[in-house]
Amino acid sequence: MPSVKSVVVACDMVTPYGQGVNLCWKHLIAGDSAIGEITRFDTRHFKTNKAGIIPGLSCGAGESFVMKMLAPMSKGKRALIPEDSFPILATTTGEINYLEGHIITGKGEYKQSDPGFLLEKIVKLTGVKYPGLLVSAACTSSNTAVSHGAALIDSGRYDSVLVIACDSVSEFVFSGFSAIMALDENAARPFDKNRKGLTLGEAAGYILMMSQERALREKRPVLGKIAGWGLTSDANHMTGPDKDGGGLAAAINKALQSASVTIDDIGVISAHGTGTIYNDAMEIKAFKKVFNKQFVPAYSIKGGVGHTMGAAGLVEIIIALKSLQEMTVPPTVNLLDVDPQAEGWVFQEPAKFKKAVTISTNSGFGGINSAIVLC
Amino acid sequence: MIKITGIGWITEKRYGRIIQQSARDYSDLKSLASDFVGQALFAYPVKNFGRFDKISKMVCAAAALTFNDAGVRYFKSEKKETGIIGTGTAGCLQSNLAYFKDYVDNGRSLGRGNLFIYTLPSTPLAEVAIHFGCRGPLLYIKSGQSRMLSLIEYAGDMISRNEASSMLAISADEHRVICILLETDDQVHQKKGFRIEEQSLTAMIASLEKGIS
Repeated sequence: MPSVKSVVVACDMVTPYGQGVNLCWKHLIAGDSAIGEITRFDTRHFKTNKAGIIPGLSCGAGESFVMKMLAPMSKGKRALIPEDSFPILATTTGEINYLEGHIITGKGEYKQSDPGFLLEKIVKLTGVKYPGLLVSAACTSSNTAVSHGAALIDSGRYDSVLVIACDSVSEFVFSGFSAIMALDENAARPFDKNRKGLTLGEAAGYILMMSQERALREKRPVLGKIAGWGLTSDANHMTGPDKDGGGLAAAINKALQSASVTIDDIGVISAHGTGTIYNDAMEIKAFKKVFNKQFVPAYSIKGGVGHTMGAAGLVEIIIALKSLQEMTVPPTVNLLDVDPQAEGWVFQEPAKFKKAVTISTNSGFGGINSAIVLC
Repeated sequence: MIKITGIGWITEKRYGRIIQQSARDYSDLKSLASDFVGQALFAYPVKNFGRFDKISKMVCAAAALTFNDAGVRYFKSEKKETGIIGTGTAGCLQSNLAYFKDYVDNGRSLGRGNLFIYTLPSTPLAEVAIHFGCRGPLLYIKSGQSRMLSLIEYAGDMISRNEASSMLAISADEHRVICILLETDDQVHQKKGFRIEEQSLTAMIASLEKGIS
């Protein structure tokens, strides 16, 4: 088994299902989708008005959606998060609504949308003493941030790292994903043979990681361990994945190697599973490449919460840890007709698994791939 | 041991290489691709270079200068296990403005995909990965500490952890890009360069950042 140094001792998140990990898990297991209609901005010119929106989330002038998501989560958590935790923020667009407001109304300061300012606010909100680090690697931002955090702990540089991730559904990203024709007109159907694209979603969350020694010393509950990771690039295309899955397969192989586990140890895969034709096909090819013809149960949560961009990896790590606690594979929400290529990998119903090691994968714009082994 | 084997830089009017100690003026970004081809800095044309945003053009040019400075050859048909880590004060703020302003000016009905793809701070780095075939980790970071030194430290750590065999560390601002190649010393011990453990590195980086403006 892997020689683990970094453990997860606390986590929380808000997703389109609402506040909390258990709520999200309960809905995923039930196969519910939180994808609904957008009322935040005018969508009549777009192919779809669907997204995974956090219920009741709104913000006024001078506020941002992501801070509105993060603030309630930090309430009463200062005691839980040590002051000497190194903070890492993962996001793709952060407080982009400041830039939107400036261009649409001419009011406000667009420079406030720089995620560097968001990092400063998060440092204040959480009460940590380090200025921290912003990590942005498209839709692999969270996995990259968690890997980096684990590396900081493994190296002994810090013994407590706080990774925070957030992204909101904005007119900015919605119009952009529409422009590149990546959106399904209905809710995303990852790994379905009739899938047509992704559905955007929004989420925010955090995980607090510690060295095993510190977690033990402080009698922290261990929710799971970061056993290893692999980060690669396809070096192929800006918006399309490497069709043979070579880049993602390389990331998974690196992650397995760094965790000192083999394919036989993996009980379940948390897939990126966006619902786009090319991503899902690429992922299944990568899984087949790595696991040879040995089926490993896989699932995607994006039919439930949508693609939460920079936050996706963190939400998926938290759900992967929950799936390890429950030893249950959640169903792939919205899966009706399994793509023949994904047959035997993904399921419509929850199922039990026996091997207590999981791998969570993400891929993003620019051909960036990431895989994290959790146990 | 990890060594800096190449440093390339570019401003809006001039570009150069530190190890090879060369610098020259150039006319404008539009002509950069052909200008470089003439100088044999890009081994082959950069696909869609004309459509890149300004920062991506400069970052790609700085990477070409860096590989050239380090004597590293690259081929269209061959990929390398080099990773890329980048930083910059403004991230992709200008590209975000360009995309959303264009979208609003066009009646908020349709965005331009080609502008949208540059609205991630990692996009210029991905353009480098695609052109030079760099298959290692790719990430944009921003920290409150000394930027170039932090980048070098993070890049060195990634090599030490075997996450990549070599790393490009790129500091990109609107008016200046500095790119550094880090390789393991056992692979390149005969090459000129600086060991990242050297005491003089801090002074060298400070002088580099001050000297290129």
